[in-house]
Amino acid sequence: MALVADGLRKQFGRTIAASDISVTLRTGAVHAIVGENGAGKSTTLRMLGGAIRPDSGAMTLDGAPYAPQSTFDAAHKGVALVHQEITINRSLSVAENIFIGDLRRHAGPLGVLRRKRMAASAQEALDRIGVKISVTANLDRLNLGELKCIEIARAISSNPNTLLLDESTAYLDHREVDAVLHVMQELKSKGMAIGFVSHHLNEVLAAADDLTILKDGQFVGSYRAADIGANEIHRLMVGRDVLHGIYPPRSPPKVSGAAPTLRVTMAAVGRELNEISLEVRRGEIVGLAGLKGAGAEALFAGIVGDEPLRRGELQLDGKDYRPSNPRAAWRHGVAHLPGDRGNEGLIVSFSVLDNLVMARPPAVGPFFSRRRARAMANDLIKLIGIRTASASAPCQSLSGGNMQKVVLGKCLAVGPGLLLLNNPTRGVDVGAREEIYRIIRQKASDGLAILLSSEDMPELIGMSDRLVVLRRGVSVREFDSLENVEEHDIVQHMI
Amino acid sequence: MSQAMKADSPGGAAPARDSGFKGFQIDLLRRSFPAIFLAVLVVVFTFMSPRFLSLGNLSTVLEQGTVLLVTSLGASFIIMAGSIDISVGAIVAVAALVAALTANTLGALAIIPAVLVGAMCGCINGLLLAVGKVPSFVATLGTQVVYRGFVLYFTKGAPVEISNDGFLDAYSSVSYGVPHTVMIGLALAVAAWAIFKFTVFGREVLAIGGGERVSILTGIAVTRVKILMFLLLGALCGMAGLLQGARTMAATSQLGLGLELDVIASVVVGGTPLTGGLGSITNTFLGVLIVTLLSNGMNMSGVDPYLQNIIKGVVLIVAVFINIDRKKIGIIK
Repeated sequence: MALVADGLRKQFGRTIAASDISVTLRTGAVHAIVGENGAGKSTTLRMLGGAIRPDSGAMTLDGAPYAPQSTFDAAHKGVALVHQEITINRSLSVAENIFIGDLRRHAGPLGVLRRKRMAASAQEALDRIGVKISVTANLDRLNLGELKCIEIARAISSNPNTLLLDESTAYLDHREVDAVLHVMQELKSKGMAIGFVSHHLNEVLAAADDLTILKDGQFVGSYRAADIGANEIHRLMVGRDVLHGIYPPRSPPKVSGAAPTLRVTMAAVGRELNEISLEVRRGEIVGLAGLKGAGAEALFAGIVGDEPLRRGELQLDGKDYRPSNPRAAWRHGVAHLPGDRGNEGLIVSFSVLDNLVMARPPAVGPFFSRRRARAMANDLIKLIGIRTASASAPCQSLSGGNMQKVVLGKCLAVGPGLLLLNNPTRGVDVGAREEIYRIIRQKASDGLAILLSSEDMPELIGMSDRLVVLRRGVSVREFDSLENVEEHDIVQHMI
Repeated sequence: MSQAMKADSPGGAAPARDSGFKGFQIDLLRRSFPAIFLAVLVVVFTFMSPRFLSLGNLSTVLEQGTVLLVTSLGASFIIMAGSIDISVGAIVAVAALVAALTANTLGALAIIPAVLVGAMCGCINGLLLAVGKVPSFVATLGTQVVYRGFVLYFTKGAPVEISNDGFLDAYSSVSYGVPHTVMIGLALAVAAWAIFKFTVFGREVLAIGGGERVSILTGIAVTRVKILMFLLLGALCGMAGLLQGARTMAATSQLGLGLELDVIASVVVGGTPLTGGLGSITNTFLGVLIVTLLSNGMNMSGVDPYLQNIIKGVVLIVAVFINIDRKKIGIIK
């Protein structure tokens, strides 16, 4: 008996983010909260952790009423929340990051930090959660999973009896999630109650003792993990059997003697990519699988001219191609959907129209043609099915899925010959996902060559015609067909 | 909270962000704030000094404000792109000197070397930022000293007088009751407004301010746009230097000293945040009127000159405080 919530409800503006949520976090158990994007998982976890106050409903902690006013208050009462964003400050040391909220405790007279003593207790905190990170480590060399573990160490430093972990974003890759899950098991065995939200459903189910399913902000039910199967969970989360039929059928391969749209020969880019050769033909979707840092992002940076090639060469339609900057790439008909929507994909404060026509604004001489831009934007909005009040609505008023459709529209607006997609459905709900897949497949059968990099295995298997697996900067395996290929077959080459 | 607010609702439109009508009203109020503030200033000063609203004074205000207007027009592009230029006053001094040195031989055509030299100074700033990757604040902090140093070196501190009739006729006389400086200033304002509103360049400037990384990855020629906007500002500073020289009939090394601060104040009071990505030439025009009217009004109504700077600074801070939507900007530096 630890943290019990009953009938929690939270509304933002007109959106009901969570309603009628009842959760019991047991001592010594891992409780997973699962649901689609926007189902209310993070909202629920943040209400439990004091980051937001519920509009109604009640919570008790070990039987006593519990109504935290802030995360600080919650931590004081023994409930620690780890946010979904990585909040590590890279200009501080590992130890300083762990004790950032309470540095004064480690200060001597005159406010001078006692670094040695602080480092020792930081190391103790790291050892306690069972991770092999040294306090002297350089933060720039740690991966996101390790940074997450440092955040957990920070949360644990206040000696809580309940830990809430929000990993509802796709920041961590499979390997990194494993490290975090390992820490959770360690803490569970020490008798803590753990509430957990994750993007990686399969791993979570393997680790959870209990689980609560949410859908569209509504409470669906709480279950013992042992009593419920993966299919049943999927059905309850989505309300129908998904992940079959969400991917449009492949078009039959066209045999053509023409040179491939893109040919990469022994390319090396930046620190991450050491050697890859591949071809993408017209009408074909080629998938790139690999852990974060395995080289897919670097390859994209090379193809769009964001980073120079260290070695090797690129050919576009049989001709040598060496873009000096992204502008050159767009001019050659290479469009690019970046992985970071908010910082690289679009300007959220600008209107849908402004973003859609940004790559190639319709112009007469130096003058921008507003009339043609409007026609272009309206066509794209209809073609892609962007749900917006109007073309002049700011992008920040759209949902994540519709924002992503705007980025896709910006790419398609230039009539590209080659399209690079970096995690095109990251943070996009199932409904919009399906539409995005349909458009991508449609464009491929119209003759577009597409290179797709994704952390989402089912997506890669469902969408790719062929697949290249990258490991530590080198392509290690190619799949010429993805019929009857299982996730496991690919993942084993990635690690 | 942000997670929940961005939450996707499959099949449905996004939820309205603001709480409806009230939010809309506040937004409208904030956007029209510069105009309201200007109206309040006019009313207050009219009560304090009956001569404030006379035609003669209006002409004086416009004439006094022209140099600030012309330079602020160029600075708007820089600030909307998220950069800054603090060498404005120095370029004005350089251009005034060039105009003074060439006016006796070229007459009214001294405009050509003055504007060219201004554009060159601006181009150097642009190259330092866009190619040299020196932050614009630091780059122009340096060039400002160099540019003014050149003026000091060539004048040895003594003023260079302008007495060519052709030059003075063209740039400092009055036709149809309107000073030529005012005509030129307003014409340039219309041109800058059109450039910003109707050209691809204007949109690209705003896009760079809204998200530089997005702009680069979307294929906007960020380097070229940055150089161009600094070149534009330089040319406008050249023009301003010429007009200032014609007004004072001399070029000195002290010309335009501290002008850049008034320029930044005008742009910001007009409602353009220093973070870029927002704003317009109309906003800047209102900002210039506010800053100019404030000084003029205080003089007219006999406010103690020793007190004026304090009042001016406080009023500007209050204006920006009310004006800028801090929620939208997020991080304030």
